[in-house]
Amino acid sequence: MPKLNRFNIEIETRETGTDLPVHFTINNHKLPLEDAQGGVGPGETFSGGFEIGSFAHSLTLVGPESGQWDIRKIKVDYDCEHTPPYSVVFGEVTLDETTEVNIWQDPPLPTWDV
Amino acid sequence: MSVIKKLSQMFSEPDTQDKKAGETASEVQDPSSSQSPFAEPPPVGRRVIQASVIVGQAEEMNQSDDILIKAEPSRDNGQCKFMVNRPLFEGHSWMFSNFEEAAGSPLAESVFSVASVETLLIHDSTAVVTKTGAKGLSDWEALAKKVGGVLRKTLEAGTDMVSKDIIAQIPTEEVVRDEIQKVIDTEVNPGVAGHGGKITLTAVTGNTVTIEMGGGCQGCSAADLTLKQGIHSAFRKAVPYVGAIYDETDHAGGLNPYYR
Repeated sequence: MPKLNRFNIEIETRETGTDLPVHFTINNHKLPLEDAQGGVGPGETFSGGFEIGSFAHSLTLVGPESGQWDIRKIKVDYDCEHTPPYSVVFGEVTLDETTEVNIWQDPPLPTWDV
Repeated sequence: MSVIKKLSQMFSEPDTQDKKAGETASEVQDPSSSQSPFAEPPPVGRRVIQASVIVGQAEEMNQSDDILIKAEPSRDNGQCKFMVNRPLFEGHSWMFSNFEEAAGSPLAESVFSVASVETLLIHDSTAVVTKTGAKGLSDWEALAKKVGGVLRKTLEAGTDMVSKDIIAQIPTEEVVRDEIQKVIDTEVNPGVAGHGGKITLTAVTGNTVTIEMGGGCQGCSAADLTLKQGIHSAFRKAVPYVGAIYDETDHAGGLNPYYR
């Protein structure tokens, strides 16, 4: 597991949105996303990020304190130490006050044509 | 030796941990909790769910008319996956544990003709190869090129990939499900129960099975050992026609792993 310097996130909301701020957890510490732009209302797109500078044993996007949040797509750009930057796109998910969704993926394995 | 005994011996009394077999979260109580009966209960944690990952590379491969093969060694370099934009064994999977088992299956025969290939697992459009000897990333580069070459040659020949004998012995999903469930109930779960573990069969597709490890197995640092040396062996011994065996456990979400 490489050290995560920073991650940026882009979240597309479906018909059911929620309220700002958007929180995430890093190793079970809950924090608001920084550099926030856009919104998390119905059909809106939100972007934000955070300087982590630590090893991500867990990284999650936290659901709303009440109600539901229907997410169409989550794109995460990871900037890790000693690893080329990489991105992962997660598909549809619905969050509520009891859930958070994993947004950590290890760097892709080396792949080549044979 | 029964699988139950084997599993039990694999995890005999740990040397470095004082956690005893059968210990569960409910048995490990914070002493302070019994001293302060009026303390507020801890906040209920959120459940971590997994969203599907959208993969773009496979679509690019599927759109090509050429035979494209990508090699991807596993993180520990123990095996190498070959992703092909052609079906190798559509809807089914098969494990070739040695050269003898490859007889009659052109695809497996060609792969085993490459020196150092130890086992071959094929499933839909992927082939997973393990090798003898050193297992560093650089050790895969030359071998993967050779395996890719023979895979391409066999696909270009257009013959059946798998012997008719193998195809004939694969039963229906219901039979596979019943027999695997029987092994889980009678051999595997009694074996892992001593560590508070539980194995659940979550899906059967063709002869491919997917399991989930729960309780003390979820997040356990020895889960991979249990999977490969305990569960795989038990399944393949009792149900010889089982193909790929996948573990879809969210090990990061394990609350009470036996070995941390």
